[in-house]
Amino acid sequence: MKRQTRRLDRQPGEVIDRGSPLEFGWNGRSYPAYAGDTIASALAACGERVFSRSFKYHRRRGLLTASYTDPGCIVQVGDEPNVRGAHRLVTPGMDVRSQDTWPSLAFDVKAANELVGRFLPAGFYYKTFIRPRPLWPTYERVLRRFSHGGVVSPDPLSPELSSYDKRQVHPDVLVAGGGPAGMTAAVAAARAGARVMLVEEEHSLGGHLRWGDKADLAALHDLRSLLAASGVEVLTNSVVFGRYDHNHVAIVQRGLPHVYERLVKARAKTLVVSPGLIERPYVFAGNDVPGVMLSTAVRRLINLYAVKPGDRAVVLTANPQGDAAVVDLERAGVEVAHVVDARGGDDLVRVLGRGGVKGVELVGGHRIECDLVVTAVGWTAPLTLLTMAGTVAAYDSRAARYFPGTATLPDDVLPAGGVVGDGTLDELVAHADAVGREAARRAGSMSRREPAAEIPALPVDAHPELFHGPTHGIVDFSEDVSSRDLLTAVEEGYSSAELAKRYTTATMGPTQGKLESVNVVAIIAEATGRTISQTGTTTWRPPYAPVTLGALAGRHREPVRYSPMHPWHERHGAAPLVAGAWIRPDHYGDPAGEVLAVRERVGIIDVTPIGKLDLRGPDVPKLLNLLYVNRWSKLEVGRVRYGVMCAEDGVVLDDGVTGRLGDQHYLMSTTSSGAASVWEWVESWLQTEHPGWQVHVTPVTTSYASINVAGPRSRELLGRVVAEIDLTPQAFPYMHVRTGRVAGVDGCVLWRIGFTGELSFELHVPASYGLHVWETLLDSGNDLGVRAFGIEAQRILRLEKGHLIVGQDTDGLTQAFSAGLDGLIRLDKDDFVGRSELVWQAEAAAESRLVGLHPNDASVVPEEGSQLIEAGVICGRVTSSRWSPTLHRSICLAQVATEFAEPGTLVTVRLPDGRSVPATVTEHLASVDPEGARLRG
Amino acid sequence: MVIVGGGVHGLATAYYLARNHGITNVAVLEKSYIGSGGSGRNTAILRSNYLTPDGVRFYDRSLKLYERLAAELNYNVMFSRRGHLTLAHNDSSLRTMRWRAEVNKASGVDSEVIGPADIKKLVPFMDTSERARYPILGALYHPPGGIIRHDAVVWGYARAADAMGVHVHQDTELTGIDVEQGRVTGVRTSRGSIATRVVVNCTAGWSTLVANLAGVRLPVQTFPLQAAVTEPVRPFLDTVVVSGTLHVYVSQTDRGELVFGASVDPFASYSTRGTLEFVEGLAGHVLQLMPSLSTLRLLRQWAGLCDMTPDFAPIMGHTEVDGFLVDVGWGTYGFKAGPVAGETMAECVATGRTPELISAFGLRRFADGSLVGEKGAAAVGH
Repeated sequence: MKRQTRRLDRQPGEVIDRGSPLEFGWNGRSYPAYAGDTIASALAACGERVFSRSFKYHRRRGLLTASYTDPGCIVQVGDEPNVRGAHRLVTPGMDVRSQDTWPSLAFDVKAANELVGRFLPAGFYYKTFIRPRPLWPTYERVLRRFSHGGVVSPDPLSPELSSYDKRQVHPDVLVAGGGPAGMTAAVAAARAGARVMLVEEEHSLGGHLRWGDKADLAALHDLRSLLAASGVEVLTNSVVFGRYDHNHVAIVQRGLPHVYERLVKARAKTLVVSPGLIERPYVFAGNDVPGVMLSTAVRRLINLYAVKPGDRAVVLTANPQGDAAVVDLERAGVEVAHVVDARGGDDLVRVLGRGGVKGVELVGGHRIECDLVVTAVGWTAPLTLLTMAGTVAAYDSRAARYFPGTATLPDDVLPAGGVVGDGTLDELVAHADAVGREAARRAGSMSRREPAAEIPALPVDAHPELFHGPTHGIVDFSEDVSSRDLLTAVEEGYSSAELAKRYTTATMGPTQGKLESVNVVAIIAEATGRTISQTGTTTWRPPYAPVTLGALAGRHREPVRYSPMHPWHERHGAAPLVAGAWIRPDHYGDPAGEVLAVRERVGIIDVTPIGKLDLRGPDVPKLLNLLYVNRWSKLEVGRVRYGVMCAEDGVVLDDGVTGRLGDQHYLMSTTSSGAASVWEWVESWLQTEHPGWQVHVTPVTTSYASINVAGPRSRELLGRVVAEIDLTPQAFPYMHVRTGRVAGVDGCVLWRIGFTGELSFELHVPASYGLHVWETLLDSGNDLGVRAFGIEAQRILRLEKGHLIVGQDTDGLTQAFSAGLDGLIRLDKDDFVGRSELVWQAEAAAESRLVGLHPNDASVVPEEGSQLIEAGVICGRVTSSRWSPTLHRSICLAQVATEFAEPGTLVTVRLPDGRSVPATVTEHLASVDPEGARLRG
Repeated sequence: MVIVGGGVHGLATAYYLARNHGITNVAVLEKSYIGSGGSGRNTAILRSNYLTPDGVRFYDRSLKLYERLAAELNYNVMFSRRGHLTLAHNDSSLRTMRWRAEVNKASGVDSEVIGPADIKKLVPFMDTSERARYPILGALYHPPGGIIRHDAVVWGYARAADAMGVHVHQDTELTGIDVEQGRVTGVRTSRGSIATRVVVNCTAGWSTLVANLAGVRLPVQTFPLQAAVTEPVRPFLDTVVVSGTLHVYVSQTDRGELVFGASVDPFASYSTRGTLEFVEGLAGHVLQLMPSLSTLRLLRQWAGLCDMTPDFAPIMGHTEVDGFLVDVGWGTYGFKAGPVAGETMAECVATGRTPELISAFGLRRFADGSLVGEKGAAAVGH
């Protein structure tokens, strides 16, 4: 096992627990660590410096920021790709591997790319591999091998990687960022009476105070005590990744027991944005060699993880934080060979060494041996959440960073801390305290008469503008984009920041611009002779931090609907059919037998998913006249009528029957798949076009269980279970509706209609009695030969009868006349939806018609979707086809061009297997009982 | 002449005007940078497996132009012909797939319906089991479909048009169109005026506003369409996968990122901001298709604007204002049509005649009631 050769003695602010040692694996070898170590800190403590290979050139990469955004330490953990090794805590036995290296991290064959690096400039791909064209697929396969990232597996994930969760919260004040500003604001808001949630990306609160001096640590201790007593809910290892409209704030929470990631959705009354600042890398030759780190990275390593980051360092500093890093390094026993003070105009020229830092070259050619180069050249404000809230970022050249334009922020978003200024800790606390109180006031947690808190503005420190040195170096570490690439892009005309970004792919990688965005803009500005303000910035798009698909999806349970009769279906071997939201019985093992039972005796089918809308009010006839193409003004109480709805473009939308149950009471039925959309359609017309109409709509699809009783003996069967309703043909004719008691259940609706073409009654019974009525019907009809039938039998029956199915025999193109609904359409009634289109269609005559079709060879059942082809031109298609057990032959419905629609026309059907078979257009859509005698019996 | 809009449609029109008709006195006006609109926001999927024979013919021409674009422009647009799968989760969509396959075959376009076992071979990550909430019953497989580097198409056309003398003006916003006695006489922009007799509106998202400047009304509503991309992982998905039932399409770029798109948002809007609801629904649907991708992280989301017409077909050609032409209303499929739209619009402008390939797409059809029927296929078809 490796030893922790670079672990320092106990540090005052360290976050590791030396009492809890553990072991984990790195590329197959065992490494020691302490609880609290990140993968990167544990490896660094054992002297490891190289964690990955770069994207294009496969250069060795080490730690740069030692934080979540570190591009050099993205690793594979078990089945999990792209894990941020400088953020993820090690756990016992964790299997960590470097990504995308072959055969090993130390010796990577693809590093040969580096040798040809000068042949891989920006836009290289666009300029090469063009000819010969047939070879591009081969080139592409090679290129794809260079794609970067971890490995996903098609196998099911382990339980710890496959449980996700969501939580909804409604805090008064949500604070994004748990540094000193965020902690102070949270405490102040809570003291003002607000319910507060504080979210911090790292594993502990405190921001930069955690790696500060004694005074900082003391202040942090006090802040933590205040916070603990405040009642603020704190989420650590969690990130606010998006601020959407009306302060709908998305948070990803990690590291929970048994839940890999949780999406917390907060509807916050006020959002405080206090993410602090991100240290910016410096662009110069060799700036990506392992051993070149930011000042915050070395301070984190030393103070949080007690890791000695090198033995001999050169520090480039332009700010007090860089100076503090020098102090930290010396305290940790690192020899500081030289401090390059950028404030005095000094600069670094290049890093010496390839696999690791061996030294640096200063201006004038002076070289210094070292194994660590530290840069502290400035800060980037992460403005994503604020720009999502509408702010426009403005560059301040005096401070060398962007600031949010607060004038453009909505009232419910308040920035705090480093994103708006600098100042001493006392100034920061005073400012954040006022922000917290104001946030609570705006959230309504304080009396309305409370005056707005005066938020003291933070001073803004001057900072030299330092983006790059005298040599070219890497700008985007994840994408391997250099400053030279950016210049090339500008020279070739990609001179706007957005074009240069897309051309070079700078800022497109996993860090999404957090480290490199300002450097990119600065370098482009310089190359084009513009200022940074004129050049603008690249867009910060959500999410602020990457979030797993698992967390976004949550438990991703798609709800399923079952009818009350479902247990019976399951007990009787029903084959399940997924029909949108519903699972329905397709058949019970013998669809042909089920068909014959209906034709010869009686069958019952569960049609609960049929859409049902209860319509009440004096203006229901107006609504029906508006939405159906046929006439509805004179429907009498006790009658039902079939209706077809069209969209405004005349395309058939839905069909169904509607019955009049009382003077101002109707029950509308829709297709099963149209249940939800027709309800929306009805409401949309009522609410937007006719708000004055008195119609009350209640969707009752699942309030009723629906059963169709069909077959010549259906009246006899129903007679045994119905009380007080006269079922005789004279008393209850075809297309009539009755209400009453069925099998002892009151409040049932019966209508006499016939999708199957047989004498049939459709029962709508209160859902909780559905199973009871179903079983009673079966028990009462044993001697009649009653049998349950499924969807497949129903489809055969309706096809034999020639009844169309909207969406099958019609489609998104079929207009009402093509669907053969001529007799139904009433162009002479007042305006209705689709009328103007239908008038045109009536004038133009439909281009196609729905017809019945019989293949001349009765044994051939053409697959639905087969095309009708005459003289090489498509002239129609088979929309429905089945073997008819009643007729012992194949039957079809087809949409055909009008010139082929005459009964008796011979057409050619091309089967999917390429064969062509002749078929004949039939006289009627119906193959069985076209006159409807059985139906009306 | 002046072309409004520096996306693939505007730049392709300029390019074919110069190349096919020798007309190079052309200014392309772009209010931002080239490709900043729909051309840079789409998910770069190409296919020609449409539902109507006319649709198939039109998009097949576009696909053929795309296939030889790299060589023609001397610019690698990285067309990756990797196959395109449209999944069917119920018998009705399977029926539509069969219909499309048969129409495609009859038009000489390579498409076929394949079953779950073949789908699993093409996409080992796919859950083709019967346990899935929406089991996969089959798919329309279209081998010529694929993806392309969309920015490269824009840049390639711009570079080639520029080389032939076309002027591409970025950061130049159209502010007015001068019309005298029913004829275009010039345009005004944020950077000055141009006298011209021909203005071609090749915009999306703002097509109605541009047309209004000429006094032309378009039956267009603008809807956002959202998309998202994940962090890169090693290549594992070779084909483009589309599921209409789950409202999602997925492909993996050569860089290793998964690119996701969906159907348009349910409400008309000019907003190009992404929503949380979108990525939540998207992730759920992707995981239904490929459950082991839970740990993959979403990196970026965005939205583009789609101009929808009542019949889901574009509006192309002349308008009632002499010299004002439109190439608009491309809904969610404008990128696929870029080359063929440019070629036919260039012909339309140069010859004054409407090419047969686009004769059905005239603005007058909305007054005549002769709508185009690709709605069924285009509703969610990528």
